[in-house]
Order: sequence, then structure tokens, then C-alpha cells
Amino acid sequence: MPSLESESKGISWAEQVEAGDEGLPPSSEDFDEKNGIKTITEYKYNEDNKLVKMVKTYKVETRKVSKSIARRKNWKKYGLAERDPPGPNSANTIISEEINMQFINSRDQQPEKEEDPLAKLKSQKIVQCRICKGDHWTTKCPYKDTLAPLQEHLTEDASKKAPGEGGAGPAPGAPSAAPKIGGKYVPPSLRDGANKGRGETMAQGRKDEAATIRVTNLSEETRETDLQELFRPFGPISRIYLAKDKLTGQSKGFAFINFHRREDAARAIAGVSGFGYDHLILSVEWAKPSGNQ
Amino acid sequence: MKPILLQGHERSITQVKYNREGDLIFSSSKDNIPNVWYSLNGERLGSYNGHNGAVWSLDVNWDTTKVLTGSADNTCKLWDCETGKNIYSIETRTGVRTCSFSFSGRILAVSTDKTMGLPCELQFYDALDPQQLRQSKPFLSIPVEGSKITTALWGPFEEYMITGHETGEMRQYDTKTGEQVLEIKEHSKQINDLQGSKDLTMIVSASKDSTAKLFDTSTLDHLKTYKTERNVNSASISPIRDHVVLGGGQEAMEVTTTSTRIGKFDARFFSLVFEEEFARVKGHFGPINTVVFHPDGKSYASGAEDGFIRVHYFDPNYFDFDFEI
Repeated sequence: MPSLESESKGISWAEQVEAGDEGLPPSSEDFDEKNGIKTITEYKYNEDNKLVKMVKTYKVETRKVSKSIARRKNWKKYGLAERDPPGPNSANTIISEEINMQFINSRDQQPEKEEDPLAKLKSQKIVQCRICKGDHWTTKCPYKDTLAPLQEHLTEDASKKAPGEGGAGPAPGAPSAAPKIGGKYVPPSLRDGANKGRGETMAQGRKDEAATIRVTNLSEETRETDLQELFRPFGPISRIYLAKDKLTGQSKGFAFINFHRREDAARAIAGVSGFGYDHLILSVEWAKPSGNQ
Repeated sequence: MKPILLQGHERSITQVKYNREGDLIFSSSKDNIPNVWYSLNGERLGSYNGHNGAVWSLDVNWDTTKVLTGSADNTCKLWDCETGKNIYSIETRTGVRTCSFSFSGRILAVSTDKTMGLPCELQFYDALDPQQLRQSKPFLSIPVEGSKITTALWGPFEEYMITGHETGEMRQYDTKTGEQVLEIKEHSKQINDLQGSKDLTMIVSASKDSTAKLFDTSTLDHLKTYKTERNVNSASISPIRDHVVLGGGQEAMEVTTTSTRIGKFDARFFSLVFEEEFARVKGHFGPINTVVFHPDGKSYASGAEDGFIRVHYFDPNYFDFDFEI
């Protein structure tokens, strides 16, 4: 920022513009010495021939520098900057938006980041091979060729010998049904004997849908737990689906709640519809059966 | 922090340099016009018009009276810093890749490209002898064997020149006899930049093999390695703290096919001693070609393939930051 002296000498860029366009209100310059804030007000016509008022605010700072730097401050501009007015030219110098230095604690975070997905997979056992029960897809099983035919033989034998035992030999066809035998209550429709054809499970799916309600106008901050709290008083809930944005993880504003019983769902609709939640008014209705089921 | 964006170049930035006192920033780019700016407020002081090719390198002498620029138009020009007038134009047989003043400003070191069947040369001119400059006759010209010089740095007391090469070698050339004193090869790919610490006891190299390495200046012993996942185009050592800043990113030709988030165009701060990254600064949307610390260590400037120069003044939290041991 060159000193003010040089400013008063030559014709400033603002004045040049003004000379060309007649009938413009004069530009003014206001300097608040106390705070060191300079305000320049200019007028010009924009592309649509409309009068535009531009207010530029500068902070004038005085810094003590060595003589050589001070001398360089008063150098005349040259080259492409020859015609620039004193002070930064807004065409070349832009103050960009605030950014922060992101500090990384590499000792804590980096190894975690790398291992996280793998560790999760290990603990959850998302993938289980049907042939060797390893942590990989069945098609990628290293024993696929050697063990698979053998496995088939075994299961055939098992079903022939002990059709009632169920839990003893993990039949690859129905692995999910096996653990339910011990302890937990299993509805009759899901019990082994009843699981004859596919008709039953289809009916189950339809029943679920019948007790499903759709909640809309949720706020972005809503979480699954909030919904659980809100709807649990009406009856047991089997599933909550909250639509979330893939990137931000914020709610998209609607959710589906599956109740076990249709009556509970009906009461929930009556109770929560029009309920003010997080400064928004919820709208609750029956979910329409989705097309692909 | 609010970085100051300097938008005076039409093509990618090749080099950014502060003068000794740090009040001016000199920038060169692949367009033909180097610029000079006030570092404090980003005001453009002027430009040096006259080159007809990409300007690969520039330097300013210690008292900020003269500027040297080396260009692909086979010339190296000497300018008056105050007026922007061209004083001398040294003609070379091939494009000038690097050029720099010695500490006293008396000797000009110029390295040329190895093209059109002509060898890469490291030339030295005496700035006080107009004859040499006018007739483009260096008092010493060292033919460089093997791969060409991509970056060069003056060693302490102007005794030798440290050069970085296209295939990853680093060499020391004696500036009196022209002999090659030392050669090492710690990098597997091209060395893009060499910068010294404030006292010049150490130098940091930035290489295309995605690492930056710290060396002892006189023996070229390898001391530290700073690893990243992308090309490192430039690295600079903080004059006040044990920090190194690395600028880079994926290769410019691949940038258009990927998003900025994948490109990793952040400036990355490493601990000089522990070789660990501790902070990043985002902002550029092309690979950073050149980074340099202000001589007072309180700000740094980066120039990128996107044609912008960003001048960053550190927030107090940078100075408060300490490594937990």
C-alpha cells in the first residue's frame, strides 16, 4: 500500500472513468483516521445501463519497515501494472474466502484409517463362504473345486439321515433358521416345519408393508434414535428406515416406520400427524406399497 | 486465514520467489510475462515484458535491484527491478531451465535444456562484465553429462552449485574449476525443486517419485524422507520452525479426468525431524508447482498449475502447534 501522497498526485483510475461518463454522481472518499478505514464510493453504469453504486472499504495500516522496503513501497508501477491505481487492483488481487489449516494427528489417525474397513469386516463377518465358512465370497473360495461337490454329498446325506434335527448340521440352504431353534421365540409361520414354500415369506413381506407408515417433513437433524423415541409408545417397531444423504449423512426429510401390528401403525398416524417436531410439522400417512416388491 | 489470490498469469505458475527481505514476491509462469507483487497486500508492482516463451525460472539479487529470468525462448534476461526495464539479454543455444544469482549477486548461473542435439550446459556469467552479457559468452561453461539439470541451487560461499537432474541424480559442481565434485542418486525420478534451509546447512529436494528428501548440503548425505502419494513439485523449509511444506499433486495432464478432491492439491506440512505430516492447506485446484516460505516464516506463497498464486499468512494456531513427543 503506497503512501497517500502518490494517490493525490496523478489522476486516479476512478476519476478517469468519471470523466468519460457524464452525469454520474461524483465519487467520494471518506477516511476514518481513528480506525484507519478508508471508504470509497463510486458510481458507474453497468451493462444494463443502470446506475450502480460501488462502496469499497479499505483498511489502511501503518507498519514500520526497514528503509529499503519503504523505498520500494514508493516505486512507480510498471509493465502491465503501469496503469493500475494505487492500492491493490481488484482484477489481479483477490482476497479469497477463509480457509483453515487442517491439523492432522497422524500418529493416532492414520493407522486407524487404513485398518478400519478391514477390522469392521473381520468383526462383523459380513461375508461367509458357504463351502468352507471362511471370510470370503463363495465364488472366491479356494476350496471351491475340491470341497463343493463333497459338501453337496454331505448335506444330502444329512437330510436323509436326520430330517428333524435341524440345528445339528448347518444345512447350507437355511442357515438363518438354524440358530433360532434354541431359546428365542419363533413365530409359527417361520418355524422349520412351516417353511415349505415361498408363498409364506411373500405374505410376510406384504404384511410388513401393510403396517408401514411414511413420515415426511422431518428436519435434517433427525436421527433413527429420535424416530424410535417418537414412535415406540405406539407399539413394537420392526424396522425404521430413515432416508439419508449419501455424502453428508443428513436426513433427507422422510422416513418409513414398520410396526409389527397394523393397529399400532394406525394409532401412530392419528397421534403424530400434525405433531410439531424440531420446529417442523410432521405429516404421517400410510406408506404406499413400493413398486418393486 | 484468508489467503491473498494473485491472479496475474494466464498459464501455470513455474516459480515463485520472495526477495531477501520478503516484501516482494516474484512470479514466473508459462505465459511470457513474469510479475512482481507486494507480499503484504498482494498489489502488483509490475511485470517484465519481453520474453517470447515460457519462463521457467527467475531470481532476484540480494538487494532487490536486479531480476534474472530464464525462458524457453533461448534467452536469459536481466532486468532492472525498480523500472522493469530489460538491461541485458543473454542468448543461449537452447531453452533456459534454471537461472540464479550468487549470494553477492555478482555471478549469474544459467542452465540450459538438452534439446535439438545440443547438450545441457551449466554456464556462469560475471554480472560486472558487460562484455560477457552482451556477447553471451560465459566465463565458465560446464557440459553436463547424462540427464539434464532441472533445478539448481548455489552452495555456501558460492563454492559449488548443487544441481538436481531429470533422472533423480543430485550433483555438486565446483564453480571455480567446473569439475563435478559429488554425485548421489537418492531419488528414482526427476527432481523438481531444491531449496535450502535459512543457514544453508540442509537442502530439501522435491521429486516426481512422490517423496521429498532432506540432505546435508556439503556432503549430500541423505537425512530424512517425507513421503506422499503424489508427485512432489516443490518443498520449502521454514526459516523459524522445524517444518517443511510440500506442494504437489497428480500430474497436470491427468487432472482434468479427476475431481479436485482426488487430486490432492493441498499444501502439506511435515515435521522436519519426525518426517510426519501434521497439517494441510487446501485451496488450489491444480497441482502446486512451487511453494516457498516467506523469509520471516510467518507466511508462505504457493503457485500452481491453475495459474494462481496464493499467499497465506499463518493463523496463531500454527505458531501454537507443537509436536507431542
